Amino acid sequence: MNRDLVENEELELAGVPTVEEIGLHPLDYLLRTERLPHIWCPGCGLGTALSCFSSALVRSGLDLDKVAVVSGIGCTGRVAGYLRLDGFHTTHGRAIPFATGLKLANQDLKVVVFSGDGDLIAIGGNHFIHAARRNMDLTVICVNNFNYGMTGGQVGPTTPSEARTSTSPRGNLEHPFNIPRLAAAAGATYVARWTVLHARRLEKSIHKALLKPGFSVVEVISPCPTLYGRFNRKKYGLDMMEYYHQKAVIRHGAAPWEVDIDLGGEIICGEFVDIERPTFQERLRERYGELHPSEDLGLLNRPPVELDVPFAAGESLPLPAEPRPAGGPVRIPSEMAARTSTEVLLCGFGGQGIILSGRITGAAAALYDGREVTLTQSYGPESRGGACSASLIISDQPISYPHVTHPHVMVAMSQEAYTTYRGRLVEDGLLLVDADLVEPSPDDHLPIPVPATRIAEQELGRRIVANIVMLGALTALSGLVSEEAMRKAILDRVPKGTEELNMRAFEAGLSYAAHLPQADGASGG
Amino acid sequence: MSEPGVLEGEFFLDGDTAIAEGAICAGCRFFGGYPITPATEIAERMAARLPEVGGVFIQMEDELASMNVVLGAAWGGARAMTATSGPGLSLMMENIGLAIMTETPCVVVDVQRGGPSTGLPTLTSQGDIMQARWGTHGDHEIIALAPSSPQEAFDLTIRAFNLAEQYRTPVLLMTSESVGHMTERVVIPPAEQIPLYPWRRPQTPPSRDFLPYAPDEDGVPPFPVAGMGYRIHMTGLTHDERGYPATTAAAQRELLPRLVGKIRNNRQKIIEVVEDGVEDADVVVVAYGISARTALLPVSRAREEGLRVGLLKLVTVWPFAEERIRQLAGRVKAFVVPELNLGQIALEVERCAGGQARVIPVTHPGGDIHEPEDILEAIREGAA
Repeated sequence: MNRDLVENEELELAGVPTVEEIGLHPLDYLLRTERLPHIWCPGCGLGTALSCFSSALVRSGLDLDKVAVVSGIGCTGRVAGYLRLDGFHTTHGRAIPFATGLKLANQDLKVVVFSGDGDLIAIGGNHFIHAARRNMDLTVICVNNFNYGMTGGQVGPTTPSEARTSTSPRGNLEHPFNIPRLAAAAGATYVARWTVLHARRLEKSIHKALLKPGFSVVEVISPCPTLYGRFNRKKYGLDMMEYYHQKAVIRHGAAPWEVDIDLGGEIICGEFVDIERPTFQERLRERYGELHPSEDLGLLNRPPVELDVPFAAGESLPLPAEPRPAGGPVRIPSEMAARTSTEVLLCGFGGQGIILSGRITGAAAALYDGREVTLTQSYGPESRGGACSASLIISDQPISYPHVTHPHVMVAMSQEAYTTYRGRLVEDGLLLVDADLVEPSPDDHLPIPVPATRIAEQELGRRIVANIVMLGALTALSGLVSEEAMRKAILDRVPKGTEELNMRAFEAGLSYAAHLPQADGASGG
Repeated sequence: MSEPGVLEGEFFLDGDTAIAEGAICAGCRFFGGYPITPATEIAERMAARLPEVGGVFIQMEDELASMNVVLGAAWGGARAMTATSGPGLSLMMENIGLAIMTETPCVVVDVQRGGPSTGLPTLTSQGDIMQARWGTHGDHEIIALAPSSPQEAFDLTIRAFNLAEQYRTPVLLMTSESVGHMTERVVIPPAEQIPLYPWRRPQTPPSRDFLPYAPDEDGVPPFPVAGMGYRIHMTGLTHDERGYPATTAAAQRELLPRLVGKIRNNRQKIIEVVEDGVEDADVVVVAYGISARTALLPVSRAREEGLRVGLLKLVTVWPFAEERIRQLAGRVKAFVVPELNLGQIALEVERCAGGQARVIPVTHPGGDIHEPEDILEAIREGAA
């Protein structure tokens, strides 16, 4: 089908004067004239849309070195490539997020998205509504020709019901999107629609949109005589223009939900939305002040470095320094680990601060006691109430195998955790359980009950610090980490304003353990 | 003198957070992402930290948008990063291709979890390692790094940004849930001790004759960004040195070999491996990421048994250290390849070994890391 058209003598370029022969148009400096002729068909409205945009841009007085045009894929997608501006021809549907990145990186840019209805409203529809919702400071010019032109005239998101296309050969069964309605509903600050017949009004609206802060949208109804027109009895550009002439109605301020386009019906044009709403950029500035993500950060002033030598702040992981002497069969990883290391398992349910306890203990040992620490954690999909655990290896040597398999020290803050993990503890390990939340099996004589939750509730008035009470007891009973290191780590990691409460919780745990008769004998690791 | 807000000192960080801090130290001032376990901590840290260093964080509507917003930010002049896990990486693949084609420097972090599809959201895997290589369509080269610890996650994030700038290409940081959720001491050196590859700023002033895609000697063009007056054109189509679409076989013949060549021809500078006891080894364990760490214990144990075993850790997974494997293949009995998938890099090792040495994959479907005993068993088998 397309090949026939290309062979059609109407499209032959022989005899058409070249740019050089005609001379310069006043707006030619805005075009990459060396790329002409463009790829668009005779009768297509894209040339008009482009020239309206060019005039509007010049009138806007914007610094042309600071204007970027971003397009997606399709016939309209080629616009970015014909303008002598910073132009970005991205992937199908993705012009808006790309433009968002440009604008966020450099606030000084005016970023325009110029693309088609299929690109912006079908494959890129999600980006369109979310950019409108954020009120991203972008101007979107959406050329709507009611079909996918570049791929041969397939049905699109804006094809009127019953219109014929190459993939709706018996008429479109779907309802089309009404672009102004979509844009307005999603939060655009400026929404207008014109056909390419309304060249001067279109230019005016684009001019307004370019200067409007926030997400501004101009829909341009544009003929595609080669495909959409031919399928729908409007074979020539002129037929489509005549249709616009007859059926276009200007109704400024029309409610966006009243401007649907039916096959052969009225095309309501005009300015539908023009409102003020803080842009994303304004909100960002308000909250954080001026941000400059694209500043050169003085990187060029850094000393030159031979980069072929890889950068490494830390040493690469060494092999275990003191391997155990070769001996009998090896089965359990923990037995293979260096003897100077202690494995610790803290477990309970989500919401008890188990992971935080692990982080505090680990930080205390790693940062303040100068030991090697590896902390791993496991939790289920539940945000609260699911089983969770924090596993620590605390060692005097670099830790290779990172997982705890047979802990020497265990703290169980829930019955489920006790039941699940009890069997993993080494035979003479140290086991602390919450006295009120865990009922050990009758034949289990190892557990030391610590009423951490009760102390937190009754003595400190806040159940939430039970984990810190337990850490106090653990510190006293295990000798694993120094009290001073724990105090520092707690202060570093608990929420601001709760430091005093948490310190009291820690001291309460220490003191409870100190008064336990068996405290002297119990030792982990 | 360090920049305001940039950390320095010793910290107790998980691997994900270490990546965020590494990025900030590398000059990353833009992050666009979408929440996904187990990578979310990176986004959360960036959301809190970027405004403190003058940077911008934005949470996008999906991973397609995340990848694009990062590319836009890069062309806007910011060092930019995104982070995701398998399901998100699949969506990002489209525009990782755009990044390769348009030579956009950026860093993409994949905190690998079990797949395919939604798989094991909270559990580890190395199942995306071939996706990193070939996930986006079309012929291309890619750079991918694999950290084994939070410290390496920090270090390699900086290296990833440097490689991205140096070669104007997306760099994948292929970490995993095990490293992302592992917390250890991380040393952040003073800013002036962190080498950063500078922006390849064009040396010629803007003019109509400026050729944005004319490469320097190393095959990489300078990087003009938006707003500098160059009036650049960038396209995902095959293009000429002007950046203009040129959809012909001839233009493809010019462009593609250069895009592939700038990485392939510089691979000896890009590839980093860490070797231990490889020179006189009968068996060499080839591993990357968390598995290279898991392998330490069985390697040491095998040596105690008197076996001559070496460890070759692939810090750079892509491009693959194929020359090194070829060299070793001639003189070792076997390669042992532990990885948290059912045999992906093992195939590469096999290809490079060319039948000269045995290749023993130690496969694992993910969800957990290897038992050291399984790797030890494979080493014994290779040495026999």
